[in-house]
Amino acid sequence: MRARSGFPALLFYVITGSAETMATVTTDQILTADGTPLKDSLRRSLVRNKLRAVGLVLPALLFLVVMFIVPIGQLLTRSVDDTLVNEFLPRTFAHFEEWDQKDLPSEEMYEAMFLDITTADKTLLGRATIRMNYELSGWRSLVKKSNREFKKIKSGPYKEVMIKVHKRWGQIEYWQSLGAMVDEYTMGYYLNSVDLRYDGNKNVIEQPENRQVYQLLWWRTFLVSLMVTFFCVLLGYPVAYLLATLPLRISNLLMICVLMPFWTSLLVRIVAWMIMLQQEGVVNDAIVSLGLLDDDNRLEMMYNFTGTIIVMTQILLPFMILPMYSVMKGISPNYMKAAQNLGAAPSLAFVRIYIPQSLPGVGAGVILVFIVAIGYYITPELVGGKDGRLIGNMVAYHMQTSLNWGLAAAMGLVLLLGILVLYWVYDKLTGSAGLKMG
Amino acid sequence: MKTTIKLAMAAGAIALTTGIGSPALADITITSWGGGYTASQQKAYGESWEAKTGKKINWENYNGGLGEVRAMVEAGNATWDIVDVLPDQIRTGCDEGLFEEIPREMFIKAPDGTSIDDDMMVPLPNNCAIPQIFWSYMAFYKDGTFTGAQPNKVADFFDLEKFPGKRGIHTWANALIEMALYADGVAIADIYDTMDTPEGIDRAFAKLDTIKDHVVFWSSGAKPLELVTSGEVAMSLAYNGRIGAAILSEGAPFVPIWDGQVLEEEWLAVIKGSKNKDEAIDFAMHASAPQQQAGQAKWINYGPMRKSGLAIIQANEPWYNTGVNIMEHMPNRDEVMPASIFANPDWWADNGSEISERFTAWMAK
Repeated sequence: MRARSGFPALLFYVITGSAETMATVTTDQILTADGTPLKDSLRRSLVRNKLRAVGLVLPALLFLVVMFIVPIGQLLTRSVDDTLVNEFLPRTFAHFEEWDQKDLPSEEMYEAMFLDITTADKTLLGRATIRMNYELSGWRSLVKKSNREFKKIKSGPYKEVMIKVHKRWGQIEYWQSLGAMVDEYTMGYYLNSVDLRYDGNKNVIEQPENRQVYQLLWWRTFLVSLMVTFFCVLLGYPVAYLLATLPLRISNLLMICVLMPFWTSLLVRIVAWMIMLQQEGVVNDAIVSLGLLDDDNRLEMMYNFTGTIIVMTQILLPFMILPMYSVMKGISPNYMKAAQNLGAAPSLAFVRIYIPQSLPGVGAGVILVFIVAIGYYITPELVGGKDGRLIGNMVAYHMQTSLNWGLAAAMGLVLLLGILVLYWVYDKLTGSAGLKMG
Repeated sequence: MKTTIKLAMAAGAIALTTGIGSPALADITITSWGGGYTASQQKAYGESWEAKTGKKINWENYNGGLGEVRAMVEAGNATWDIVDVLPDQIRTGCDEGLFEEIPREMFIKAPDGTSIDDDMMVPLPNNCAIPQIFWSYMAFYKDGTFTGAQPNKVADFFDLEKFPGKRGIHTWANALIEMALYADGVAIADIYDTMDTPEGIDRAFAKLDTIKDHVVFWSSGAKPLELVTSGEVAMSLAYNGRIGAAILSEGAPFVPIWDGQVLEEEWLAVIKGSKNKDEAIDFAMHASAPQQQAGQAKWINYGPMRKSGLAIIQANEPWYNTGVNIMEHMPNRDEVMPASIFANPDWWADNGSEISERFTAWMAK
């Protein structure tokens, strides 16, 4: 059986582990000292143990449910929920199926819309129109202005007066956009998160070209995370090796050098990098004064993709070094000595003996750094400039500014799913020994 | 051993009571943007309200947006009472029912008895909005950057031939679209009609394309000042309050370009379900009174939204706390209004999301 680790394993053993032991007790009635059958007494003590174990994991389980499973459930609901518009426009949607979507809708549908708007609760109207505005810009002010003007209209026919109130009532694309909101559940947010959308008949089509940005950002986020992870391995491995092999006195000092930046405020480190790397910064000044570059050709290392990679690598480096170090610390130096005793050159011994044993630590570091990197957004916001922005920035934008939580939730879940898939692939590739936190 | 445990417990108890206790001791919590802006609010009307009522204010900072407010209102647990919001957020927030509505008659009238509606420089957009200040996006440069002719209009910001060098702009689209169209020759009165057409937006992006390769992007308000000071960029856009503060307090050699500035509104709002609603409204009425509106300009060069507030400043110059005139740094003074663009928050509430995607795509390509 494959080794299991962490919290699921604990549960697994609590539930199944002791049952296996019990099955082997198949003797006739053997009595314990106080006269109860051994089988009963054993069972009782096993149950007690099991309960104690469950009691011990209960806080962790509750924490997991409250802090992780419930929010993710809510996220999932938000990303597909589209009931708001149905509540707002019940009459209009009742007529929607009959409409062919080729010409402007019939007088009945205009009347239904009129009644829906004039009878709607104020807050519902506000919230629903903000939602409708995500589908097609302009819905918000259209309904808001109409709501004010419609109060003056006493009777039909409505089509003509509505178009007079606002010309958008005569533009077919606003009516067509309702098609994407007719159902109470929608995949629309997921489509939006990859630059697609529904047309009026719920066919999936591409977003207009100048709005397409999410696919690009997904790829860039993936690429940045991959590059940061790669550079972290490259820079972190030698450091972790030194930490694990140098005498304690020196390695302690080295450890402090690793931990000091780790404990320093994120913003302080980012600002320090800005001062170092900007075009009028320390590094460029040094290069220019050494005469390696002239003053007009200063390097651009900040407020772009390069800056993002450099700063993120530095920030995430400890997440790579620490798990590698803890694994390397456990590798006995005797293996290397044995290999060399048997005739291997030091470099060969290192490659064939040391590296394979250190891989679980590398694996842990890679997963840790990659997962943290993929959700980064403050650093890219500050140092990314024009082409360093990542998908996390858009999630933050939709959470904070546009209030399009459905889209933010969908993007969050795509991110989560992506990480789970990558983790699964990684797990398949490396087998159970691939990961070790220490 | 026992004493250590006792000590630890005592320390824990103190931490617990102060941690939970301090916000509870305050009577209302006001969330604003921090820095010099919050300081001006505290000095102009926070302290005077505390002195008048004997109540305490807990000031918090945030990074904008209605995310937290919506979460609080949905959870039915408002931990803030008042929030300082941008123009499109006062509109969407009120539409969504995130803010309390305030009866017009509660507002304090102008000294001559003018009602709040007639005293406003722009109409109150809804019943939730409590007037604060005007601020603006504007271009500026450091004295001595250019030899010969000096830039004095926003079109110069887009003119790389006459005024070579990098440009600093922010990482979102607000004000940039308006400035680009104005610089491209669209009359101020026609800007939003132009922006309502797809061709108008294309035209704005085409104008932005002309400086794209020479742009350094910034996202926090202090950054453009650093960029210009260090010579990283030759000209930058920035918040007028930041430029003014640097000139007024530090004597920085910055030259603001008032032409083509984009004026934005700033509002206060009482959060729906606030546990201290009465105190919060009382505070808001105090903060939006003409005297307090004017008082804020003693500490920061953002312009009062009420005409009577501006009148108090004009009548009492030098008004700034250091004893210098403040009117020449006010974004909404009469002289600069003809060449200023009033941002249209309704347009942005409608189109902000779509333009934001397009702008992000533009930055990335």
